[in-house]
Amino acid sequence: MTTFTRTRARARIAQDRYRRLRRRPIGVRARLAVLEEELQESRQLNRRITELVDVVAELLVLVDDRDEERVREVLAQYRASI
Amino acid sequence: MSRVLSQAPAPVVTVSGDGLLLRSAPAEPQVVSFDGRYIWAFTAARDGRSVPGGVLVEWPPVLRRFLDGTVRVRVADVTGDRVLHDQEVLLGAGDGRVQVVDPQGLPLAVDKVGHLCRAFDDTAEGVRAEILTGTRRALDDLRDVCGVEAYLNYGALLGAVRDGAMIAHDSDTDVCYLSRHTSPADIIAESYRIQRALKQLGWTLLRMSGGDIKLLLPLSDGRLCHIDVFVAFRVGGTFYQLGNRSGRLLDSVILPVSTITLHGVELPAPADPEAMLAFIYGPGWRVPDPSFKYADPVRGVRRLDGWLRGFRTDMGRWTEFHQGAGRRLVRGRRSTFAKWVDRQLPRGAPVAEIGCGTGRDALWLARRGHPVIAFDFSRAARAAVLKRARHRRLHLEVRALILNELRTVLLAGAELARDPHHLAARHLLGCLDDRARSQLWLLCRMALRGGGTLFLEFSADTGVGAPDPEPAGLVRRLDPDVVRREIEAAGGRVVRARVRAGVDVLGHPDPTVCRMRVAWTRPEHPTSRRTAP
Repeated sequence: MTTFTRTRARARIAQDRYRRLRRRPIGVRARLAVLEEELQESRQLNRRITELVDVVAELLVLVDDRDEERVREVLAQYRASI
Repeated sequence: MSRVLSQAPAPVVTVSGDGLLLRSAPAEPQVVSFDGRYIWAFTAARDGRSVPGGVLVEWPPVLRRFLDGTVRVRVADVTGDRVLHDQEVLLGAGDGRVQVVDPQGLPLAVDKVGHLCRAFDDTAEGVRAEILTGTRRALDDLRDVCGVEAYLNYGALLGAVRDGAMIAHDSDTDVCYLSRHTSPADIIAESYRIQRALKQLGWTLLRMSGGDIKLLLPLSDGRLCHIDVFVAFRVGGTFYQLGNRSGRLLDSVILPVSTITLHGVELPAPADPEAMLAFIYGPGWRVPDPSFKYADPVRGVRRLDGWLRGFRTDMGRWTEFHQGAGRRLVRGRRSTFAKWVDRQLPRGAPVAEIGCGTGRDALWLARRGHPVIAFDFSRAARAAVLKRARHRRLHLEVRALILNELRTVLLAGAELARDPHHLAARHLLGCLDDRARSQLWLLCRMALRGGGTLFLEFSADTGVGAPDPEPAGLVRRLDPDVVRREIEAAGGRVVRARVRAGVDVLGHPDPTVCRMRVAWTRPEHPTSRRTAP
């Protein structure tokens, strides 16, 4: 291996290291931002789940009676209660 | 805008339409009065910004619409001993006196979170007694009927501990209860249960978040006092208390609940009120500071936002819109969109308008003989539509629909699936975030599964760089192709679409307005397939 080739190889290694070092912190920051966003989405599931459970418990169980008059009554009651 | 110098030759404070320019920034809070009445308080070092000539403390945005006319502006420290400014000032071009009052003429002030409120300073003794009795009733109902440990908190507790009296400039009372639940979903479910129990007891209330209910207490002077019912809870060792407080606080600071006297009325209080006040207001809580502002941990606020909030983000701004620019729109004619919808419907076909706003179109369609349901998320808008309908002796139903709240979406979907209506939504799409839009498509799928049409109009983003539609910040443009893809993903079919010049919500010319006619096909129920054994 000539001196020139060796120097070029070292330069490549150094360049590669620099790129990796630069990429890492940028990559971590970007990943952190994505993680934060996804965590917030997952927090929001608390309210969506509770809303679904509320509808199921207060409405759908009673709607399953299939009594038309009762279903209308239950829908009106639910609207008044939220 | 005109300026008056308070003291020659070098004024300590210069008052203008922009705000108060202070030659230097005093460290202590300053109280601003108009014609001798408390209006607002600030701390210059925190609320001001350096400008040539000193520190400018801008008027709070909620005050700006009142600042048109002459007024005696006094700026002084809390004790009133050190007066920085006390002179007549002309603001804007108005020729009357500046009056910061509500539509009933009742005086208003700015509270510590920047909202307009009625201050206790201006409340008659009898009315104050009504507020305290109402607060006592709320606390009793929470403990006896809802079964939670409730206690007086915030400004009312601070006043009670300091002087046994309400602090001046406070506008409402706040109560909290300590939830035993540690999962946000359970905490929200408990808050729903409390809401139902309080409604059954006759309270009128508003839900502000998954853990915050506002009780509206009618007072004999015609206004409504707000009693906020906040949840407090613990998740992963951190204590949270709505509004936005979070940090370390032992349960023993709250339990067992003690009592405290406020204007002679005994009320439940935290076990250690001083420790609670230090947690809320910091170690300096004993020194009065009407300009106090919370400095809540950002991480805690973000968690509370994620767990409990997100369904009424723009509610306040829409309420302001309906009380301001929206009120002027009421006198306008129906939109060309309403006429377009009417032309395509059989006579007397029922229509539900989603996001009815001021209700011009809903009322016009009702007058044309269509049975109409008008949905909107703004209470102010719904009240305005109902009032106009009564005034015109038109029958239409007005219902709440919060597209970011899944349960109201499912409820409206269930109602419309049983009582089919065509749907119309003018300039609604641009007001919604991605979640709300996706829940609108869910509502449409439920409502139109048996047939019927959805009519849409929205400001279109066609890549030509058209200006933002009005009201600024509340409505945005949408790419018609994106809307089409969303509709198709939700099982709908765009029957017709076109982009032409039209108008925005305020009636200003808009070069690219998209109209769509959309249908949903009835989902086919899977036929049972027998497989050979």
